[in-house]
Amino acid sequence: MRARWLLPMGAGAAAVAQVAHAVQYLTVEQAQRAAFANAAAFVPVAVDIDTAAIGAPAGWKPLMWRVQGDAGALGWFFEDAVVGKSELITYTLALDASGKITDLEILDYRESHGGEVRLAAWRNQFKAKSATDPVALDRDIRNISGATLSCRHLTEGVHRLLQLYAHVLAAKP
Amino acid sequence: MKHRLLALAIAAWGASLAMPAHADDAALKAEVEALRAEVAELKAQVQQMHAVQVAPAAAAVAQAAPPAPAATPPAAPNPGRSMADAATGNATSLWGYGQLDYNRPTARAADARADLTRAVLGFNHEFNETTRVYGELEWEHAIASADDAGESEVEQLFVEHALSPNYGVRVGLMLVPIGLLNEHHEPTQFYGVERNFVEQAIIPSTWREGGVAGYGTTDSGFQWDLGVVTSPDLGKWDPTSLDGRESPLGSIHQELQLSKAHDLSIWARLNWLGVPGLNIGGAVFAGKIGQDTSKQFEGDANFPADNSRLLVGEAHVRWQSGPWDFTALYTRGSISDTQDLNLSFLGQPTPVPKSFWGGYAQGAWRALEWNQSSLVPFLRYEAFNTGAAYASLPQGFEIPALPTQRVWTAGVNYYLTPNVVFKFDYQDFRYDDPALNYGNRFDLGLGFQF
Amino acid sequence: MRNTFEKTLLLVALVAAAPALANAAAAPTAASLGDEIFHDTSLSSSGRMACSTCHDPANAHAQDNDLSVQLGGPDLATPGFRAVPSLRYMNLNIPFFFANDGTPTGGFTRDGGARDLVAQAHTPLLAAHEMDNVDAAGFAARLAQTTYADAFRAVFGANVFAYPETVLLAAEFALSEYQRTDPEFHPFDSKFDLFLQRKLMLSPQELRGFALFNRPDKGNCASCHTSTRQSDGQPPVFTDYTYDNLGVPRNAEIPANADPAYFDMGLCGPFRTDLAARTDLCGQFKVPTLRNVATRHVFFHNGAFHDLKSALEFYVQRDTDPGKWYPLDAEGRVHKFDDIPPLLARNVNTTEAPYNRKPGQAPALSAAEIDDVIAFLKTLTDGYDPITNTADPARDVTP
Repeated sequence: MRARWLLPMGAGAAAVAQVAHAVQYLTVEQAQRAAFANAAAFVPVAVDIDTAAIGAPAGWKPLMWRVQGDAGALGWFFEDAVVGKSELITYTLALDASGKITDLEILDYRESHGGEVRLAAWRNQFKAKSATDPVALDRDIRNISGATLSCRHLTEGVHRLLQLYAHVLAAKP
Repeated sequence: MKHRLLALAIAAWGASLAMPAHADDAALKAEVEALRAEVAELKAQVQQMHAVQVAPAAAAVAQAAPPAPAATPPAAPNPGRSMADAATGNATSLWGYGQLDYNRPTARAADARADLTRAVLGFNHEFNETTRVYGELEWEHAIASADDAGESEVEQLFVEHALSPNYGVRVGLMLVPIGLLNEHHEPTQFYGVERNFVEQAIIPSTWREGGVAGYGTTDSGFQWDLGVVTSPDLGKWDPTSLDGRESPLGSIHQELQLSKAHDLSIWARLNWLGVPGLNIGGAVFAGKIGQDTSKQFEGDANFPADNSRLLVGEAHVRWQSGPWDFTALYTRGSISDTQDLNLSFLGQPTPVPKSFWGGYAQGAWRALEWNQSSLVPFLRYEAFNTGAAYASLPQGFEIPALPTQRVWTAGVNYYLTPNVVFKFDYQDFRYDDPALNYGNRFDLGLGFQF
Repeated sequence: MRNTFEKTLLLVALVAAAPALANAAAAPTAASLGDEIFHDTSLSSSGRMACSTCHDPANAHAQDNDLSVQLGGPDLATPGFRAVPSLRYMNLNIPFFFANDGTPTGGFTRDGGARDLVAQAHTPLLAAHEMDNVDAAGFAARLAQTTYADAFRAVFGANVFAYPETVLLAAEFALSEYQRTDPEFHPFDSKFDLFLQRKLMLSPQELRGFALFNRPDKGNCASCHTSTRQSDGQPPVFTDYTYDNLGVPRNAEIPANADPAYFDMGLCGPFRTDLAARTDLCGQFKVPTLRNVATRHVFFHNGAFHDLKSALEFYVQRDTDPGKWYPLDAEGRVHKFDDIPPLLARNVNTTEAPYNRKPGQAPALSAAEIDDVIAFLKTLTDGYDPITNTADPARDVTP
């Protein structure tokens, strides 16, 4: 009997919630500020990527910024996207000046399942990893049961960005 | 955006015209080349316009191995997945999976079967950045027609609306969020050729209901689901068939096939994922399942189980760390008010159980790994009983509980890539039941997902 | 206050309904004409035979005598070919078709030759061994003489008697409407129905019989005589509307059987002709409802058995003790399945329980178990009276 009332109630609640909350993901700028609160400038970097050398597909071109502080270089900031199951996951990665991960943020998740990669506990696994770490699912990065594809593909994406840093950016002044 | 699509379409049309390859079609070819160049240019512009930069699909799938140098012209989208479209929020994308099995009972080789168990196509279409429709279409056993054994079915079809990055609402036909396999049943996601018995017999395979459901995650690592959905229909129970013994709920769920919807159910699930690699949680599905059957026939049929209630509970823990993957799951269901119904089924092979349960423990170890491939032996022990207890009947007519079936499964998943798996296993049954295809057997399988 | 309101409402409703009620009482309908036709002996060449003569309402719309086949024609001396089936619960029957697995299903009369409840009445009205109207003209002429001929015109058209074929079809339609709408053909008021409705409990013996009836390793009766509700809650009708070949012994009481070359083979002929080429179906007859089975005077399509106990014994002992049921041939061997040509004897069902046994084995049901099943079958008789614990199918029949 009571179930009869749950439907309209649920619909009503959904409508109220709809008004109260628009979907709010971090913007790139917000993610940059969150990662580098003291940054003075984010300088876009354009380099030619020898994708074959770092095991990335041809034509791959993530967005990159060198992060400047008042007292010199603070680190690096990347924006890239990988496919989760069938849709893109847009994410940002922040490295400190020594190439260690300080932040991984999911900017946009567009699928019905696997969104658990947004959990802070999972993303925190990447903190302090660098290009010398395996950064591979089921090795030093643990899986989320039920979100395997998203976990795998994000981990691969981060791995690629770390290799990009090590092979290309670390050599630059 | 529309211009680019139009250009693509024209290019494709032009290309198809060029296909017959008439020797004197040089002019047309030139035109096509011009169009291609234009498309490439347009695409470059579009990419510049969008801040978000996009990796080709292959990037996501590729692991460490460098791919072959791409010969694909930039204008050619990846088959089945238009990346640039996805980035704009106007995407329709396709995905799918398939499973081919070979079962060979050791005692009855004549019953060996090779089967295209399932071929599935799924789609995901975004209306805007918060609203999408998600569907999964399946063919079972290769050929589905009035005269064939196969089935053609819609496994999921729902509209999802995200109210925030952390929660949203779904309306439509949805998989019941119970157990570990139901929502994630692609063959690359489970060990062994066949799905485990507990999540076929107790929790029916790909159990789905129609309704409204909320979902979400919390920052502390909780994943929750709460839904009001259609119920199974106890009026469908066929005591003359073995279906109810194979899977009590599998024989009465309705799959939104003109579902009787007088009675509704509620589902609730809570998982905690706060430690990476750990999934600990449980789910409940509860509701009335009599569907007011007694009032459906014009006569005074007075179906004696109008008030029957179903309650299914489930708890699980999974721990994945390094090469290890351990799982334990227990589930139990009960159906109330079955006494009078079973009295009307007296002597029939399959009365309605009062309770049924199952559980399994499984361990898997990624023993070898090279390039994208890996070899994962596993061992699983299952115990389940689809008729653990029956409501009491008059003296002399009591229905004895069914024996508990116990199955050991040992085997190996060989992942050619993370999304293509060859499987081999041996299953040892405590007791044979040819009617349900239970008996020691070897299984071979191929599964993939894209 | 509320009371007054309700009373007012009732009054208004009554006033509004009064003309309709008065009309309903007076105006004839197809069903009311069917009622007249069903009981009218003047519609036969003998002047002494109506539908109700053989389909006696007081005997659950089946015969009330012990004859294997009934006598009809001008002098009520022409014998028929098959035993009379009950007309009860025929409204739930379905048209003939082959199921996906090839099983012939549905259809009316013993061989499914009649498409529906309308067509079912055709042969009895015309056949020489029954009401013997010969053709539509003969039938229409008799109907035109009845007291309800004007009512017939009122329902089917003032000029209807100018078209005898239409008169026949209209009469068949009227009969089908009568059977479809009058609850006396489908009262669902047996003891078993009351048991399903949880209004009473069956006796231990009846429950035992019910279980034996259902059990696949015992009677296995329910595998054809379905004892479960349909998914929409429709009470069981005790038939799945399929056909089976039981190898029932030849019945010498049927005069036609005097000719050794004559065989009544149901689906494949001789009366039904459209499936004559399907020799695999020869000998199959429709599974009848078992409701009111305890009131039958003859059993099976050829009326070879005259009591329920013999019919049940035949089921379970046919293969364990064939000598009890079939005659000896010239060489002194039991001639099993003697009512079907020898080359077609393989059509007889010998695979399903309780037929899947060999001579010398124990029958699927013992004598005591047969008594239990009979006790259960008696609960299927319409018109159950809980006070006297008796059933009379005539109880709700209007005289």
